[in-house]
Amino acid sequence: MPLAFLAPAFLLGLAALAVPVLLHLVQRERKRVVPFPSLMFLERLPYRSVRRRRLRHLALLLLRCLALVLLAAAFARPLLLRSAAAPRLAGGAREVVLLLDRSYSMGYAGRWAAARAAASRVLSGLAPGDHVSLVVFDAGAALAVPPTTDAAPVRAVLDTLRVGWQRTRYAPALKLAADILGASRLERREAVLISDFQKIGRDAADPVRLPPGARLTPLQVGAGPAPNVSVTGVTFRREPVPGAERVTATARLTNAGAAPVRDLAVTLQLDGRDVETRRVTLAPSAATVVTFAPVILAHPDTRGSVRVAPDALPADDAYRFVLAPGQALPVLVLDGGSGGRSLYLERALSFSEPPGFRVSRQELARFRAADLEGAAVVVLDDAPFPGGEAGRRLRDWVARGGGLLVLLGDASRPDGIPGIPASAIGPSTDAGGPDGLALGRLEYGHPILEPFAAPGAGTFADARFYRRRPIAPGDSGAVLARFEDGVAALVERRYARGRVLLWGSSFDAGWSDFPLKPVFLPFVQQLVRYASAWTPAPVAATVGQVIDPTVARQPIDARTDGAPNGSGARAAGGADLPAGRGDLTVIAPSGARTRLSPGAGAPALALGEAGFYELRDGDARPARVIAANPDLAESDLSALDPQELAAAVTTPAATARPALEPDLTPAERDARQRVWWYLLAGAFALFATETFVSNRLSRGGGVEA
Amino acid sequence: MPAQGPRISSRAPGARFIDPAALARIDNLELVARTVVDGFMSGLHRSPHLGLSLDFADQRPYMPGDDIRRIDWRLYARTDRYYVKQYEADTNANFLVALDASASMGYAGAGAGVSKLDYARCLAATLVWFASRQHDRVGLSAFADELIEQVPPGARNVDAVLHALDRLRPARSGRLGPALARLADGVRRRGIVAVISDLYEPPEAVVEAVAPLRGRGGDVIVFHVLDPAEIDFPFQDELTLEDLESGARMPLLPERARARYRERIQAHVAELARRLGDERIDYTLMRTDVPLDQALFALLAARERLQRVR
Repeated sequence: MPLAFLAPAFLLGLAALAVPVLLHLVQRERKRVVPFPSLMFLERLPYRSVRRRRLRHLALLLLRCLALVLLAAAFARPLLLRSAAAPRLAGGAREVVLLLDRSYSMGYAGRWAAARAAASRVLSGLAPGDHVSLVVFDAGAALAVPPTTDAAPVRAVLDTLRVGWQRTRYAPALKLAADILGASRLERREAVLISDFQKIGRDAADPVRLPPGARLTPLQVGAGPAPNVSVTGVTFRREPVPGAERVTATARLTNAGAAPVRDLAVTLQLDGRDVETRRVTLAPSAATVVTFAPVILAHPDTRGSVRVAPDALPADDAYRFVLAPGQALPVLVLDGGSGGRSLYLERALSFSEPPGFRVSRQELARFRAADLEGAAVVVLDDAPFPGGEAGRRLRDWVARGGGLLVLLGDASRPDGIPGIPASAIGPSTDAGGPDGLALGRLEYGHPILEPFAAPGAGTFADARFYRRRPIAPGDSGAVLARFEDGVAALVERRYARGRVLLWGSSFDAGWSDFPLKPVFLPFVQQLVRYASAWTPAPVAATVGQVIDPTVARQPIDARTDGAPNGSGARAAGGADLPAGRGDLTVIAPSGARTRLSPGAGAPALALGEAGFYELRDGDARPARVIAANPDLAESDLSALDPQELAAAVTTPAATARPALEPDLTPAERDARQRVWWYLLAGAFALFATETFVSNRLSRGGGVEA
Repeated sequence: MPAQGPRISSRAPGARFIDPAALARIDNLELVARTVVDGFMSGLHRSPHLGLSLDFADQRPYMPGDDIRRIDWRLYARTDRYYVKQYEADTNANFLVALDASASMGYAGAGAGVSKLDYARCLAATLVWFASRQHDRVGLSAFADELIEQVPPGARNVDAVLHALDRLRPARSGRLGPALARLADGVRRRGIVAVISDLYEPPEAVVEAVAPLRGRGGDVIVFHVLDPAEIDFPFQDELTLEDLESGARMPLLPERARARYRERIQAHVAELARRLGDERIDYTLMRTDVPLDQALFALLAARERLQRVR
């Protein structure tokens, strides 16, 4: 029967226990100086201070202490609880959930072996009838062995487990443990967490609590300082050279140890060959960067890595990446044949950091559907939307994900533009008299304008617009920019999976001086990139990331299936992958092969290992390579206090009590609180006994007075 | 031979005299002495008035160097030979009490109820009174590390001695050697010297200090006064003992030190008795819980020996 206290503050009175103990010790020390005629017959015997503090009259001291304990307990008003949890506290079989951390930090020298040994000890300590289950976790948790009374299968699984590549998160494992313990009907329930208890594993925003009565026993492995060097990332500076691209790699290294690391070899590898090795010295708890000599990239999917000499935690000693030469964004400009109107647009797209744009211009009259092949964006520059078969193909192209930028001029017609009603576009008019109009309000939160939100990042206020085609999109589009009189200047409209952008003026110097302003160039490039839904291909992914293997990472202009750029990304929803795609074969870094079928829903690929994933489209298509690196947050080996975590996930008894305490009648409540009377009576009885005994002892000790 | 052996015992059974603690509560030392002496004498089977004056004892042939005034001319007339008269010893002997009044004598254990100095004071008064009843000249020398009080022997010095005893207070450290050496220089006549002390010195030093007091054929009685606590060491708990004379402190566990202490104090007493006996010096151990009549027996025995000297 568990015990609670109505006035636990009185338990502070237990501090009074120190009084009799101190009196027994201190008084002995002070008053026992006895004059004696001569010390000539006494020897100075070894006299240990421990003996000096030997408690005289131990029985008397115990009496006094026990009386004080009873007195404090009586005033604290103990309350007997009869709860459903009570039998669980009494003893009986246990439900033990073994939580084993297999994050890659457990690969630090000796930790994994220590963790398995700790798990083995827990299994050895099980009593007959105890249930045990095994949960392995890193960023996620998996039930490796369901609850069983036989430890043998758990040991068997333990022998096969290896350290993973993912980071630590306690919450999934604790949730799984809470589910198992909550479902258990055994009397004692316990989760045993075996981990190195990294701080980064605790997610304060995702609190988990074990069921009432269950407790968490932390078993920490690898406590203490853990020096570690890791390659935390590589950045690239690209420069175009004729027919190829020159790349300069810069790696960032950190040293988490308290001692400097001298003469550390840092090697850049490309396609398995050591290209360059630099030697650096890392100060304690510091980071540094290493820049390698530029290399020429001539072919796609160049596998590379930056490595340092292996240390106690080898998982983070290499950073892998995949590089490909520049992938220029193909832009098709359709104009009415005037030629010079597109000058500013083409110039603006010709100056760009790699991968840049590849602009081709076509007169509208000569436009054919085949011109769309390989295009990512079509710019309709002061030209009507093409009619006939070409117009239909262009509309379909947009619907499948193509990007259409319409620059409205005198030659533009309001009809035919996908998703835009003809009434939404007005005739060309002068704007604002001789001074023209400026742009008044821009949606800087939109991805097109977001780069200009920062102060000094470019201003649109200087540009003056003298003529325009007013746009009134109504509900058919989102206004991203307005002239200062409130008329829409830039409108976005989604058309199926494509994007249609309307600009209410032309990009030449006749209608405005906007092309002459510094902000024009980055603005145009933002417009075109957004319309194409282009995103830069990352050089590496992180282990644990789930990616869509059908997203094209090949050069856009190398695609031959006729699908507009970005269609793959949007096909991740699973509806209609481009025709002609077959099953994908994924070859993991460990060599394991997985076949993903696009027809069976989203063909997601979870990256579970560090290294290079190779994706083959069927068996004949060229490979696509994905570099996967472990989450570098795991490299931070600083540990939290295991007891703090245990306290945070354990439900306090005070919280559990109200649910366990049934409604009581006053008589029952009084009966459960009556204990304090007995305690008080016991205390007084002990005090009386103490008085009697101490008097006897005082008389008996008179010879020494 | 000593009148009493160096037996260390607790309170004697059937003690006939008043308890020393009760005596110590009587301020008047004369009354104390009379009480003890009268009680002692009433129990004797022999008269204490022995050999008063110049009683004839024997004759012996004249030897060159004898005082011709002591030739028995009547016997010469009858026998025509020179004989010298021999008489009993002079009963007006000096009786001197050498009393140790050092700080250690101020100790009073809980068992006895009387300090060693108070006991020694009563003992000295009793001895002096007893001796005066024997028509001896009585004197007192109190000492610690040197003489601190002195009443020269005299036929009418009883009151002076008693007053001097009354004034004594325990003080200073005790050293037998210097004080008794100075006392020995002043002993001109044969007599009895009673040394009353707790004798916290090595036995050889005690003997060396006491032996010169025998002077010219006198007798010396050593009363070794000890509190029962000094003999039995009855302490129970850990404590720190402080030397009454030097102030030195010694923490100890009595239960561990007791056996060794008892062994050493008994060895000290036995060695004192042996060495003093070898020097023909009476030694009597006086526990402060033992009645004073033992001391009178010792004095009486010494006096008898003195009177047998021819």
